Amino acid sequence: MDFSEAAERISRKFSKTGTTVDAKKVEGKLRRLVNEFGVQPSEAERSVTTELAKEFNVPAMGSAGGTGRSGGGTEQKKIAAMVPGEWVTLEGKVVSVSAPASPSIAQSGIIADDSGAIRFVAWAKANAPAMKPDSWYRIESAVVDEYKNVASLKIHSGTTIKEIEPEDRVLSPATVPIRDLRTGVGSVRAKVVQEWDASHERMLQSGLLGDETGTIKFVIWKEPGKETLVPGAVYLIYYAQVDEFNSRLSLNLNTALIMQEEGDITVSGGESAIRGAIVHIAPGSGIIKRCPVEGCNRALSRQNYCPVHEIQPDFRYDLRIKGWLDDGEKTHNLLLQRDAVEALTGMTLEAAKEIAENNPLGMDEVFLRIRDAVLGRYVLCKGREIENRLLVNTCERLPFDSSEHTALLNRAGTGGVS
Amino acid sequence: MSANPRDAGTGAGRREGAFEREPARRVFSAELRECRYQFKEGEDEKSPTFVLLPTGERSNRIFLVGTLTEKTRQGEQNIFYRGRVVDPTGTFFIMAGSYQPEAMQQLAKIETPAFVAVIGKPNLYQKPDGSFLVSVRVESITVVDKDTRDIWTLDTAARTLDRLDAFVKDGSPDIAKAKEHYPSLDPTVFRKMAYAALAQIRI
Repeated sequence: MDFSEAAERISRKFSKTGTTVDAKKVEGKLRRLVNEFGVQPSEAERSVTTELAKEFNVPAMGSAGGTGRSGGGTEQKKIAAMVPGEWVTLEGKVVSVSAPASPSIAQSGIIADDSGAIRFVAWAKANAPAMKPDSWYRIESAVVDEYKNVASLKIHSGTTIKEIEPEDRVLSPATVPIRDLRTGVGSVRAKVVQEWDASHERMLQSGLLGDETGTIKFVIWKEPGKETLVPGAVYLIYYAQVDEFNSRLSLNLNTALIMQEEGDITVSGGESAIRGAIVHIAPGSGIIKRCPVEGCNRALSRQNYCPVHEIQPDFRYDLRIKGWLDDGEKTHNLLLQRDAVEALTGMTLEAAKEIAENNPLGMDEVFLRIRDAVLGRYVLCKGREIENRLLVNTCERLPFDSSEHTALLNRAGTGGVS
Repeated sequence: MSANPRDAGTGAGRREGAFEREPARRVFSAELRECRYQFKEGEDEKSPTFVLLPTGERSNRIFLVGTLTEKTRQGEQNIFYRGRVVDPTGTFFIMAGSYQPEAMQQLAKIETPAFVAVIGKPNLYQKPDGSFLVSVRVESITVVDKDTRDIWTLDTAARTLDRLDAFVKDGSPDIAKAKEHYPSLDPTVFRKMAYAALAQIRI
């Protein structure tokens, strides 16, 4: 046991209540209890704390926890009630363990109780026993810390960890609406509304999850046993890491328990419908080649070159339109995926492939035909606008509306009379 | 495609879509040909140039749909095409040169007469005889159907009426500028123009 650290912990605890204790004296008492009397370190800490509490008339300090036998000198808390800077004792279930990000970290993961979940980090220096996923532990004298705006539980050399029986404890994590997610750990029930091109070779999948209250970006990094989510499917996702980047939240699903669900969700929030004219079709529209490497999906150059996986002769074809939709007041950047392109242009991927492979202009011919079919046309595009770009789910030609014609005649006519 | 200084800083970190593209205004030829004031926003060489529409809105780009009735090829070394596009109120003068190769090829291919949709930049010129000409430098031109022409006419009438409503309410600095530069223009003229354009649509 590191006596000075434990003594420091105790004196800090008392200083919070406005009492000054002599850390040297405390250390001596701890040393004596442990070395001479063979008392368990955690118990020594507890008894010294209780003794001092009595001495200074500070109420109920060492008796926190309620399990009697032990209790590390810190208060037992529900995870949801933890605040950065606190020393805490908790009982919870390790719901996820992830690979340590640095050699100074022995183990990291997520621990949960019935009130919530928190990330934990066990320092290598702490020499703490490794915790097993799905087991329950009592963790005494850990510190709630904050790093990059995310609270986490730090397990240091003064922390004691004990595996406990789950007894009849059952964890039923509560999902929260996407709108209410905060950095840390979160559980949602959501639908995969979009799948995006992977932007990193270590990325297995990224895209957008949505529920009735909003949408959030998600990412799954490549790791053994990780599977991609099916676009359009609904999932229960427990204990995902909620990160913040550029003041936008995103979900890292590598830590999460994921279960596919029956049913559907009407995703709202962020859905916009824009009427306007298509005023530009950008290069890179039409038929394109994509990298066949699993999880990559990048658009290849004409020479079949993927920026990450180099030459990929076994590419697969795809259709897309990148362009601008203009309503006369604002111009919206558009991205249409294959389904929307096929519906709007009437050209299927098969037909486009046929043209690309048999026409002297090749893929350019597909671009030109698509451009001539949609440029300058009035359309209604529905989708989600993210970072100034409308990711289009459906895009349809607008018909001439004779009731609008009548209304405008009235509007122009009455104004002229007055 | 010029960055709008008001919004250029937003959307940080995104390669595309980070800048605000100038919207394409909807304007009838009868209004566009009345433009007499053109200005630049900012000192930069690439700062956008706007024509000030008499109804009080700046325009760096327009979207028009009408009938291409005529096109001529001009120039020896520097080939360019001129064309006339007719809407219910008059004629737009369009041009595409070798600096807009894609637009020029599109225009070269089209057989007159045809309904066309044009996206382009309006420019104000003063001819040697002192008269003014607004010509539209084509960014793209495609053949469309009559429905698209009719929808454009509705759209343009609605936008014109919107501008006129704002004009009488004395809203923006551009409206004040328009009143200064076009003192003799009567806004009801444009209301009648919009009505006449709508009345020409046959269902």
